[in-house]
Amino acid sequence: MFFPNPIEVLTYFVHTLTHKIGKYNLTMHTLFSLKRVAVGFGLSSLSGIILGVAMGYSKTINAIVRPLFNIIRPIPGLAWIPLAILWFGIGETTKYFIIFMGGFANIVLNSYDGTVKVNPVLEGAARLLGANDVQVFFHVILPSATTYIFAGLQVSLSTSWMAVLAAEMISSYEGAGWIINMGMQTGDTTLILVGMVAIAIVGFLLANIMRILERGLCSWTIRGR
Amino acid sequence: MEDKKIKVEVRNLTKSFGNLLVLDNVSFEVFDGEFLCIVGPTGCGKTTFLNSLTKLYDIDSGSITVDGEEINPRKHNLAYIFQEYSTMEWLKVQENIEYGLKIKKFSPEAIKQRTDIVIQMVGLDKYRNYYPSQLSASMLQRVVIARAFAIQPDLLLMDEPYGQLDLTLKYKLEDELIKMWERQRTTVLFITHNIEEAVYLSDRIIVLTNKPTKIKTEIINNLPRPRKVSDLEFVKLRNQVTDLIKWW
Amino acid sequence: MDNQGKIKIQCGHLHKTFHAKNRKQDEVNEVIRDFNLQVRENEFVVLFGPGQCGKTTILNILAGLEEKNSGTVVVNDIEVTGPRQDRGMVYQTTALFPWLKVIDNVAFGPKMQGMKHSDWKKKAQYYIDLVGLTGFEKTYPVKLSGGMQQRVGIARAYCNDPEVIFMDEPFGHLDAQTRYLMEEEIEKICNGEKRTVVFVTNNIEEAIYLADRIVLLTNTPTHVDKEYVVDIPRPRDYTSPGFLALREEITARIDTTNL
Ligand SMILES: Nc1ncnc2c1ncn2[C@@H]1O[C@H](COP(=O)(O)OP(=O)(O)OP(=O)(O)O)[C@@H](O)[C@H]1O
Ligand SMILES: Nc1ncnc2c1ncn2[C@@H]1O[C@H](COP(=O)(O)OP(=O)(O)OP(=O)(O)O)[C@@H](O)[C@H]1O
Ligand SMILES: [Mg+2]
Ligand SMILES: [Mg+2]
Repeated sequence: MFFPNPIEVLTYFVHTLTHKIGKYNLTMHTLFSLKRVAVGFGLSSLSGIILGVAMGYSKTINAIVRPLFNIIRPIPGLAWIPLAILWFGIGETTKYFIIFMGGFANIVLNSYDGTVKVNPVLEGAARLLGANDVQVFFHVILPSATTYIFAGLQVSLSTSWMAVLAAEMISSYEGAGWIINMGMQTGDTTLILVGMVAIAIVGFLLANIMRILERGLCSWTIRGR
Repeated sequence: MEDKKIKVEVRNLTKSFGNLLVLDNVSFEVFDGEFLCIVGPTGCGKTTFLNSLTKLYDIDSGSITVDGEEINPRKHNLAYIFQEYSTMEWLKVQENIEYGLKIKKFSPEAIKQRTDIVIQMVGLDKYRNYYPSQLSASMLQRVVIARAFAIQPDLLLMDEPYGQLDLTLKYKLEDELIKMWERQRTTVLFITHNIEEAVYLSDRIIVLTNKPTKIKTEIINNLPRPRKVSDLEFVKLRNQVTDLIKWW
Repeated sequence: MDNQGKIKIQCGHLHKTFHAKNRKQDEVNEVIRDFNLQVRENEFVVLFGPGQCGKTTILNILAGLEEKNSGTVVVNDIEVTGPRQDRGMVYQTTALFPWLKVIDNVAFGPKMQGMKHSDWKKKAQYYIDLVGLTGFEKTYPVKLSGGMQQRVGIARAYCNDPEVIFMDEPFGHLDAQTRYLMEEEIEKICNGEKRTVVFVTNNIEEAIYLADRIVLLTNTPTHVDKEYVVDIPRPRDYTSPGFLALREEITARIDTTNL
């Protein structure tokens, strides 16, 4: 049977929320995946925003980093898996690294875009009102880049979530990816679908949390109807 | 009025933002081929009305219809000149003007011919290849006016289109607008702060109150055309309107 | 006006040509050719010129927001090389910070200079009340009408206490009534606190109502065509004979030179 009936999947899903598959129950597996995304994505957001904004703000930094970045940029995050395993073994570091690389380029590019596209008239207005370089940076450049940065974060979050599955399918004893992999190896389609449902729910929740955060931070762009 | 065909019908329109009531149960109609001016204090809801008409804003209650049905940009041939500069930054002056025509799928010859006419009319011939960021404020405004005129709409919505222009150009473009209107019997809804302009252009003037906005009064303006600002009748009407809208 | 006043703005032999690099062509646009202007302390000077002649460009150069090709610009005894807070600007395109609420926009200058919270708050509130936006302190600019945004721009410039203030068609989007009220307010502020103002407008009545001196500009490449000293006593009446006569005179000049 390649496609088990939905009721069966659902009951199994509810069951595994509290009952073990392998070492942990489904809730714990999902939390493992979430933790990995949190670390990998957190690191890539933080460093990506800093690097992107720095590149946009300073032509020198851009000139130095840009060539290197242009080489890395077109490589999809998953292509790093073999290298990562050679470098870091098959522990957690590898997974963090793969997730990190999955979202990094996009965040850098968007932060860079947002920073260079700041309206020069507003920058001039701030300087006329007495703002110094640091103040212009924090009160004009950064706020006007936030919408761009958030667009980058949205996309990167979903690629990070993708990357964690790939990483877990390759080597791990826990996580949503592991569940799917397990189902595949044992020919248990119900288990595969349970893993997929968990992924879908968490992915959906993450995207929405992001949207709410963006609403809060960029409320000034909302005109309302 | 005699039984004229109604182009735009507004019934019991109410619109508020949060607990700021802006339009309060407003009803009026615009007849086919009419030139209607709307004047009112700043922040009273003129732009809000046009945005509701074009469905950019949702209304709380009431209805707005064009030709008896809900507005549909693909079906109704309309142009809207926004109050803020709505040029497209990434297009040159000429491309900005061609844009609307391209969307409406005109032939390349027709596009070229119409673009050439309007670009001359607004005096931007020399600046065809400039980007909006390289233009002055009045030039931006003229690009948008040209873009609207080029598509020769049935319904033309203009939100303070001539505010930034100098006198000479303003008079010229007022006359061009009148010419287009007389030639094509366009229905024009024209928002302005300038009473002289309203009296010069309109068939009818609607005067709005402060927020919450209602219609204070409407004035039929049947001075013979072409009008002259120095005519006695003109000055009389102008003063009459001015007295009516002393809203402080 | 009073010739004793010290010179605040000294602008000599100013030239400006834009080179607009657009895809293939390189457009050269000479905008200002030999423009000279001297403004004394507390003087209210109106620049009156045809559309696109270069008024905004002149103000930008005086404020230090735009580079000049040649000529000297000295404001407040300092050669202008970049923007400084002793000069304020009310923009034709409003140029508000969209991510700041009305009150934070108005208080931007004082805040940057480290004024105390309670002080900037009081000061900003004063100017918000002055331009009639009480109740909209906590609103973002996208939710304001065109005219309201323009008034925020005016309040923001004044709240920073500049010694010299440049105003680029600040009343373009206001209705006649608000315009008159605001003109009166500006008059009051300028007489009460005495500031040097350079004001751009295309409205002849507004020019005569406000100005100590009107500087008539030519078409591009622009320079000074003629200057009119306005010594009608204040407050001025739009229909007084002196007012109407000057209006006639300037209009006639514009017609004959075909500006
Ligand atoms: N998107 C919005 N959200 C909240 N309030 C809004 C929004 N748009 C407009 N308003 C409010 O509605 C009122 C009317 O605004 P509107 O732009 O329609 O005025 P207007 O008559 O066009 O004025 P003006 O002549 O200054 O352009 C204003 O008080 C404004 O603050
Ligand atoms: N960044 C730029 N690059 C190229 N040309 C420019 C640039 N900025 C302005 N110009 C040109 O300079 C001329 C004068 O512009 P400016 O904005 O100073 O006019 P203005 O007198 O303020 O006009 P308006 O009455 O329309 O506001 C215009 O022809 C414009 O195309
Ligand atoms: Mg409006
Ligand atoms: Mg200008």
